[in-house]
Amino acid sequence: MRAAVQPVPDHVPQELVSSFNLFTGPGMEPAPMGDPHAAIETLLAGPPVFFAPGNTRNGEGTWVVVRAEDQRRVLQDGETFSSNRNIFASALGESWPMIPLEIDPPEHSKWRSLLNPLLSPRRVIGLEPIVRERAISLIEAMKSRGTDADVMKDFCLPFAVSIFLQFLGIGSERLEEFVGWATDLLHGTPAQRTEAARTVVSFLDELRDLRRQEPTDDFMSFVTQARIEGESLSDMEVRGMSVLLFIAGLDTVAAALGFDFYYLAQHADQQELLRTDPKRIQLAAEEMLRAFPSVTPVRRATRDVELQGITIRKGDLVACPSMTANRDPAEFPDAGKIVLNREDNRHVAFAYGPHRCLGSHLARREIVIGLEEFLARIPTFRIKPGTAPITHGGFVFGVDNLQLDWSEQEKAQ
Amino acid sequence: MKVKVDAAKCQGNARCWTWAPNLFELNDEGYLDPGDVNVPEGEEENARRAVKSCPERALTLEE
Repeated sequence: MRAAVQPVPDHVPQELVSSFNLFTGPGMEPAPMGDPHAAIETLLAGPPVFFAPGNTRNGEGTWVVVRAEDQRRVLQDGETFSSNRNIFASALGESWPMIPLEIDPPEHSKWRSLLNPLLSPRRVIGLEPIVRERAISLIEAMKSRGTDADVMKDFCLPFAVSIFLQFLGIGSERLEEFVGWATDLLHGTPAQRTEAARTVVSFLDELRDLRRQEPTDDFMSFVTQARIEGESLSDMEVRGMSVLLFIAGLDTVAAALGFDFYYLAQHADQQELLRTDPKRIQLAAEEMLRAFPSVTPVRRATRDVELQGITIRKGDLVACPSMTANRDPAEFPDAGKIVLNREDNRHVAFAYGPHRCLGSHLARREIVIGLEEFLARIPTFRIKPGTAPITHGGFVFGVDNLQLDWSEQEKAQ
Repeated sequence: MKVKVDAAKCQGNARCWTWAPNLFELNDEGYLDPGDVNVPEGEEENARRAVKSCPERALTLEE
């Protein structure tokens, strides 16, 4: 699936080279009833910074920064640790940044200032009714079909995609088509991934051209009309923004909900607590974001820099798995325990620093509303007997084929 | 009691605002503007929670 593992650069001391990487390390490969977060948590017992060969999709190795305090230093310093990697474009043999993620400070801030107001905490409150309506209609449709379902396929993924479509100004009649592209993009063969990526790009390009001619009141119209320092945005800039919007809110929100349902299905007591007292859901969602985050930000050093006594050379990649920072005992008391009413919770599920997830406030509302409506409408659920969900590590941790069962008969057993 | 704000570190996580919407005012982008925050009586607990929830460690409490 992935490119061959590239050789370890000469300047990396042999004793700092690990056999771990996010794709093939222990507990990272797809596994039935897996727990990739617990697997990666074991890195906290090892060196705070080490080198992981083959830690990216193209086979390049990266440094791995394990602890919260060190990750904060890396991610807060966007000039030393660049995120300009053209990940999506390079997979297509092209070169354009996803905006604002792949733009470094100081230029980065003008893009954030343009987009921040669209996804501010206050603005997101206005999106709540539509988010709730989408959650309810998907859950009710699933419920009407029986007492078990693959909630990834029937709820988590279409829910996340339909909010994206709404935001972009596309009717939900195209939901299935988009879910298909999203599925191929995330889980397809390399050929399917590339094909889906091209399809998404050309769809977004067409929509851009359409909205340039006839603006409405949606996101695409906003960015095609926007001006930065008096200049309209170029076609590539609009593409860079809309592609990022599509992929950032897709598997991340679905993965968060998936891991939450996976956990709750195995902890009926906690599930009942949230169902009978929904006010607890907001804190619980934060704790589950701490326990089951899915993203590992990767940066490239723009100069030689020292971290924990180790020299990172200019050009080296540095990975900051949110999963280890979120279980760092120096950052959280009882870090390894899931405490659904934890109050002091400065977790890093949405990263630190200038690239803090722009959509975090919307993602939080999607997760909380998704949990609220699911728990209100679906009785006690568990993993369907005879099935085993597949979890995986990698660039974005996730859970696939999560078959839940809420039949009365099963519950009584 | 006062909360010292390091506005250069604020990245718009808005966790402070979630815990203490009466204490912290977000600008249109959803970030804190520079300026320390005086904590009136009765808001001390919310202020403590807000400080302890900031992932960037942009807030410090002065008793």
